Amino acid sequence: MRVKSRAMAIASISAVALLATACGGSSDTDSTSGGTAGGAIVSGGCNPENPLVAGNTAETCGGDVLDVLTAKLIHYNPETAQPENDIAESIETKDNQTFTVKIKKGYKFHDGTEVLAKNFVDAWNYTAFGPNGQQGGYFFEPVEGFKEVSDPKSKVKKLSGLKVVDDHTFTIKTTTPVSNLPLRLGYTAFAPQPDSFFDDPEAFGKKPVAAGPYKFDSWEENSAIVVSKFDDYSGDFGGNSDKITFKIFQDADAEYTALLAGEIDVVRQIPPSALIDNKFKTDLGDGRYLEKENSTFQFVGMNYHVDPKLKNVKVRQAISMAIDRPTIVKQIFNDAYTPATGWVSPVVDGYKAGACGEYCEFNPEKAKKLLKEGGGYDGKLTLSYNGDGGHKEWTQAVCNSVKKSIGIDCVATPSVDFKTILTKLGKDEVKGLFRMGWVMDYPSIENYLSPIYGATASSNYYGYDNAAFQKKMSEAGAADTPEAANKLYQEAEGLIAKEFTTIPLWYGKTIIGWSDKVTDVKATPFGNPDLAAIKVK
Amino acid sequence: MTDKTTAQGATPGGPGNDEADATTTRAAVVAEAADGTSRSLTADAFRSLRRNPFFWISSALIVIFMLMAVWPSLFTTYDLGFNDLSRSRETPSGAHWFGTDTQGADIYTRTVYGARASILVGVLATTGVLLLGSLLGLIAGYVGGWVDTLISRLGDIFFAIPLLLVGIIFLSSLQDTPTLLGIPIQGYFGVIFQVVLVFVLFGWPSLMRLMRSSVIQVKPNDYVQAARALGATPMRIIRRHVLPNAMAPAIVVATINLGAYIAAEATLSFLGIGLRPPTVSWGVMINDGLTPLRASPHILFFPALFLSIAVLAFIMLGDAVRDAFDPKSR
Repeated sequence: MRVKSRAMAIASISAVALLATACGGSSDTDSTSGGTAGGAIVSGGCNPENPLVAGNTAETCGGDVLDVLTAKLIHYNPETAQPENDIAESIETKDNQTFTVKIKKGYKFHDGTEVLAKNFVDAWNYTAFGPNGQQGGYFFEPVEGFKEVSDPKSKVKKLSGLKVVDDHTFTIKTTTPVSNLPLRLGYTAFAPQPDSFFDDPEAFGKKPVAAGPYKFDSWEENSAIVVSKFDDYSGDFGGNSDKITFKIFQDADAEYTALLAGEIDVVRQIPPSALIDNKFKTDLGDGRYLEKENSTFQFVGMNYHVDPKLKNVKVRQAISMAIDRPTIVKQIFNDAYTPATGWVSPVVDGYKAGACGEYCEFNPEKAKKLLKEGGGYDGKLTLSYNGDGGHKEWTQAVCNSVKKSIGIDCVATPSVDFKTILTKLGKDEVKGLFRMGWVMDYPSIENYLSPIYGATASSNYYGYDNAAFQKKMSEAGAADTPEAANKLYQEAEGLIAKEFTTIPLWYGKTIIGWSDKVTDVKATPFGNPDLAAIKVK
Repeated sequence: MTDKTTAQGATPGGPGNDEADATTTRAAVVAEAADGTSRSLTADAFRSLRRNPFFWISSALIVIFMLMAVWPSLFTTYDLGFNDLSRSRETPSGAHWFGTDTQGADIYTRTVYGARASILVGVLATTGVLLLGSLLGLIAGYVGGWVDTLISRLGDIFFAIPLLLVGIIFLSSLQDTPTLLGIPIQGYFGVIFQVVLVFVLFGWPSLMRLMRSSVIQVKPNDYVQAARALGATPMRIIRRHVLPNAMAPAIVVATINLGAYIAAEATLSFLGIGLRPPTVSWGVMINDGLTPLRASPHILFFPALFLSIAVLAFIMLGDAVRDAFDPKSR
């Protein structure tokens, strides 16, 4: 489950933010070399939620650091998100169910040991093993034996679908055919772990060793994480600068101010206060910022099994048509989002525009008509959101729009944090609408469908259980070519459009800014700056 | 400051500026006696108030704010729910006197409606503090002995806790609790009740101390002794002689505090733990105005202006009342 708790940078001043200001700490950034490679850069960062263990990091604070520390089988092209072999020499399959992975010889971990097939298999087994409680465990769901291993009280420590053939070869067997499995293997949770990891995972997380272009130097709690270039890096995706410091900030405004003051070189996001009227463009000047669509997809969910008032599909479509997406995106988000036309982000493989059709267009007349046909809606309609994620403005705007267009008394209702909402959702306690977000784990249309709408999927909070959808999904999983699979996935998306149990809102955009000391800043499709590629001027 | 039940010094040893006022009553009584006229202290105070321009200015402002709180629709033609997203963040104009906010709502309307929460919190908190503080101060001062020690020490403990800090802790822990002791504490009045409760629970010690020292000064006066000699019950002595002569400084300080409570409420709402949307209050509006501050400062400016004027009005009134009740400053 990689649901997104935050819309964008948080502007809400919490008591904590007021009492605890971002920690300072001097930075040593002034070692600019003037060359195209080398030098040091300072990136804005935030406090990792967990120790830096690849399989246990599901949030971007730790993820940003692990992105430059780890090497995976697959590397996603920063421009196109297309998978490219990194540690993998080849990944082959005949039936989309048994995959033979050959890895490159001589690929080195930071501690000098070689990356072997068993480093993958052991790491994956560790992550999938239920009692270890790793957040990335669900990524191994397709692998044979996951059910037995993933149980929190499980005694089975090894996925039966993983087998080491020799030092540089292993096989993956999935429960059902999964045509896009190789595509998924570039996610951080699939990174190999060196032998030293298994001795003491706890201590390892504070001083991680991986096989990526940068090696871990130091981590000063609440202040900075420093990584430096790994001289013996064996892959093709090496870094440019010699050293990257992740300076930790408590909020986006402080981070942005530090960028303007020249204390840091890259920010991962522009705070809403600077987005208004495109202030950041004048703040930073031409050539120092970048806007690019990312995989964020925001939507409104509901479970009509819990709230029978939303049972009629026409009522749900009416609500969707009553939301003035373009105006909200313009006025509330300052165009940092794009109105959605379907349930899948445009940046992924298999995206097809317009799956939602006219129901995602603002049309109060038609909405009123649909609502009438659907039997109307009596009483208050709540739109629940988590109060810690900066969602107040837009949920209020959505409710205002619904209220104005079709007269439903819609009220945006905050809940303390995202966890609270998810817990309530898990217990089927949330009536009315609730906000949801999704960021891709891997660039495939499938990632927007099966984890959210699968009958037993971890992020299915909508009580969505459609046999036809399940059938389409397994057909797509077994398809011969990715193109054929994508076509079937698109048909599955069409089934979701018919049922309309979630209302698409908008797609996210990455907006990052940088200082005049660096160049070659690019954003990955995941929405992060590609730190390894950044060069010091 | 303890056990000085019979202390009569001009300045009781207790801390806090409030208690400097404690001499007032006695001095006033003396002044009255010397004057020889039949004017009571209160009448005298009102006479002096009427001559004070600050009293009239602050009263006028307070009347306007009270009217806003009771009858907001009198001041504005827009409905509170009005919003037009396509006209968000407009600067002041003829149609929208104070401009519009991020949601395209009329800021003037929201500011007027926001008065109710602020005034309610201020008035209720002041009343609560005045009642609780005076009662305990009266008991401590009049009864004395171990009761006084107990109440004074308790007061010291509560006095040591910063009001804003305890407000943050208290309110953030109650954020998701639906009821407290059977009283629903969410919703408009529920949240106001929470905020008032915090202010009363942690604001009473200063008034208790003030009242206590006042009572201690009044108690040994001849008329009190005389009443006692005539066989009046303690209740009667308190009601007829002690309270009327000891109350003035407490009322003065409470009036000044009213402004401070409004400001504290705005602070807590600004932090997102006092009043919460959809309740409109000035603190909430200031919080809303924070993000667009650089581009549209007027969203923050107007509620902040109203907040400042309201706080100023109450503090000015308190000042005027203090001047009236304190003959030394005349």
